[in-house]
Amino acid sequence: MMNEENFRRLSRFAIDRRTFIQGSCGLTALGAASSLHGSWLASTASKSTSNRILIVIQLTGGNDGLNTVIPYRNELYRKARPKLGIPEADVLKVDDELGFHPSCRGLADLMEAGQLAVVHGVGYPFPNRSHFESMDIWHTCYRKDARVREGWLGRFMAQHRNLADDDAMGLHFGREDQPLALASKNLQVPSIAAIEQFRLRIADETSISEAMQPVQEAENREDQNDLVAFVQAGSSAAWNAGKRIQQVLQSNQELPPFPATQLGEKLSVVARLITASLNTRIYYVTLDGFDTHALQPAAHASLLRQWSEALASFMKYLDVQGRTDDVLVFTFSEFGRRVAENASDGTDHGAAAPVFIAGGSARNGFLGSHPSLDDLDDGDLKFQFDFRQIYATFIEHWFGVEGDEILGAKFEPSPFLNLIPA
Amino acid sequence: MGSYDNERPPQKNLFDEIDPQWAWSQWSPSGDDPWNRQRAAHLHRRAGFGASKADLDNSVAKGFEATIEQFFAAPPENDPLMRESEQLARTIVAARDPKQLASWWLRWMRFAPRPLIEKMTLFWHGHFATSADKVPDCELMYQQNQLLRNHALGDFAKLAHGIAKDPAMLLYLDSAYNRKAHPNENFARELVELFCMGEGNYTEKDVQELARCFTGWEIRRNRFRFNPYQHDDGLKSIFGSNAIRSGEEAIDLVLQQPAVPRFLVAKLFKFFVADEPAPPPELLEPLTKRLIDDRLNVKGVVEQIIMSRLMFDPRIIGRKIRSPIELAIGTLKALEATTNFRFLADSIQLLGQNVFYPPSVKGWDGGRAWINSSTMVGRANLVYALMQNEATRFAGGSLEDWARKQGASDVASFIDVVVSQCMAVAPPNAGLENILRQAKDWRGNAAWTKIIGVLAALPEMQLG
Repeated sequence: MMNEENFRRLSRFAIDRRTFIQGSCGLTALGAASSLHGSWLASTASKSTSNRILIVIQLTGGNDGLNTVIPYRNELYRKARPKLGIPEADVLKVDDELGFHPSCRGLADLMEAGQLAVVHGVGYPFPNRSHFESMDIWHTCYRKDARVREGWLGRFMAQHRNLADDDAMGLHFGREDQPLALASKNLQVPSIAAIEQFRLRIADETSISEAMQPVQEAENREDQNDLVAFVQAGSSAAWNAGKRIQQVLQSNQELPPFPATQLGEKLSVVARLITASLNTRIYYVTLDGFDTHALQPAAHASLLRQWSEALASFMKYLDVQGRTDDVLVFTFSEFGRRVAENASDGTDHGAAAPVFIAGGSARNGFLGSHPSLDDLDDGDLKFQFDFRQIYATFIEHWFGVEGDEILGAKFEPSPFLNLIPA
Repeated sequence: MGSYDNERPPQKNLFDEIDPQWAWSQWSPSGDDPWNRQRAAHLHRRAGFGASKADLDNSVAKGFEATIEQFFAAPPENDPLMRESEQLARTIVAARDPKQLASWWLRWMRFAPRPLIEKMTLFWHGHFATSADKVPDCELMYQQNQLLRNHALGDFAKLAHGIAKDPAMLLYLDSAYNRKAHPNENFARELVELFCMGEGNYTEKDVQELARCFTGWEIRRNRFRFNPYQHDDGLKSIFGSNAIRSGEEAIDLVLQQPAVPRFLVAKLFKFFVADEPAPPPELLEPLTKRLIDDRLNVKGVVEQIIMSRLMFDPRIIGRKIRSPIELAIGTLKALEATTNFRFLADSIQLLGQNVFYPPSVKGWDGGRAWINSSTMVGRANLVYALMQNEATRFAGGSLEDWARKQGASDVASFIDVVVSQCMAVAPPNAGLENILRQAKDWRGNAAWTKIIGVLAALPEMQLG
């Protein structure tokens, strides 16, 4: 089994701190890239990053990347997917080689509009094919034996909470458990299942809400177990975030025209909060159901449609509001699926897959090359970008802060933003 | 290791310093450490879903060992409550509404004469999680629920074999068809990852070979069927053995792996003793040994945990975050209340838990995952809504009647009653005095309802 140290060491993208320092004098290839990035940090961290927002869309269950971004002319694709392969005529072609699933009209439009970066083959060394383990790896940047229970965004938000002024640094929308990516010992991110649920019903009828606050904050709880402190922090965060969100939504009653789907509704609330100038920097939403072991075609098509339509409506709304340059929307899944289809008209758990970044600052087009279909890793696509390189780009180039400590090592950012020299 | 890890302070682990032999020997009440209402309440919260004051007085009078015996006794024969409940379940199955099935089970958790069986059934439901969202067939969901209940305090091997052929489970895991040309890996993977061993104890190759063993296992017309034409009858190489052909042999082989008892014991510890911190392996060693000696029959090890010195150590009281079900059913039991259970089933979903609707095949994470700002408000709202619901009766009467019977004549004494009945740990006095100041002039039913709602928003209410 992989241990944590190997996980770090074997990633060819992790730059050892010592190499990094020597590199900036010795000008190795990596050193050159890194020192460039160092000067970039110094020049931009101050003003232009101050309105920037990152929205994460998590496709839960393992999205079939190969049927999302399709190498439609590749014979090996046809051979591996005799039943599930998307006919060439149906593919939304981007170039002579690649195109999107027919449900992804919204993605194709975004690329047409110059607002979509697709990074090929994102994964990590020694892929874990368990949903939960792999999701935890994406969330924490560590493997299980490191026993890290804080997420990369949690660590980022806890270190830079001043970026959101008095608002919540991050918000999670959904009924599922809060994603580990947002977890931090020092900062609690509010989870919002439904906006109505954010109001304490008792508070409507009485002046009791005034009585509650000091109760929540009452001292003398220090000698008790840390679960009490944890629960208490959760209630205080609920009070504060709830109040502010109610205020903001009251001041912006206009409902953007979004698809009436689960994801559409979540992104519509996010859009209202952003345009009402909430200072929150991280929004996290999920879309579940991508674990398509059986009868994949209809289910996958409908999920991709939901995702791509919601994403396209969201970007369009921000465009109208003149906010596309302040926002990036990052979509990922815990793994892709096996190249070969299975006998149940489905696909089993795989490894590397593309990730998607939409926004005015996304470098439009494909980054990297589509993973080879004849050089597989135990039946799965090989990765060429470590997911922590993607994170490094968000942390360092989008938010303009140091990423090493947050990611556990230095990673070479991948240039999917047009803020970065190619 | 990276710089990040080096900067962490070493974590104090409560369980590191505990002697395993001491921990799992039987607790005996003594003059300094008597069997009293507080200890009985702790036992009822952990081994069941809580208790009323009358239940607690009864347990204290009966004594520690007799109370434990009652938790582990076989269900009473011809119990009218049970007959009525089974009749109700059959009616619901006929009506084909899984949401009604959820309300049926919640109601049964409230009233079952053997709450530990329901608690363990809930444990296995989270362990072998299957959701009616994907399998909206009442009969299959009920059938699985009965399978879990029948083996709840019994032989894990029988349960594992049963679940491997359970129609709801195989449908849930997309494994209703499994042909030899393309084995479906899903069930094989969950069998080792989530059901028996835990991640890290098997290889990808083991999963692929296991999957071959289950080819030809099918669900047809809602029944399990073995299809020999689709079964790959070759020898498979799993965990270093080369002699396995059938799915049944494969499950037996998995069950022989030393990771199995360790995995189960760790989950039982978390479920019954403490959400966190994770105990060191040495602490669990005696329990693992017991489970091996008992050939994976869980009853003995559950009994050992529940009767142990560690279970009754003061540091363990309140060291769990109550699940939404424990919060709701516990509050109803404490207040001798019954309610509209359909309403409860629909509302509790918002807090991240409803029976028959687990969020994924991994079940519920529990512990801190129950709590976030949304569920904190939601928990207070749920308790308040239960109090307000017109179907809710307290020992057959109104909340005001109930308060009077408890001897609560004013707001202060009512707060005392609720805190001592509903909470494992008392909130700080400063907070309670604050509530008292706000509420001192409140009167009547609405006042009692609001007070319970306010108390339900306190962190202490969330501990069990």
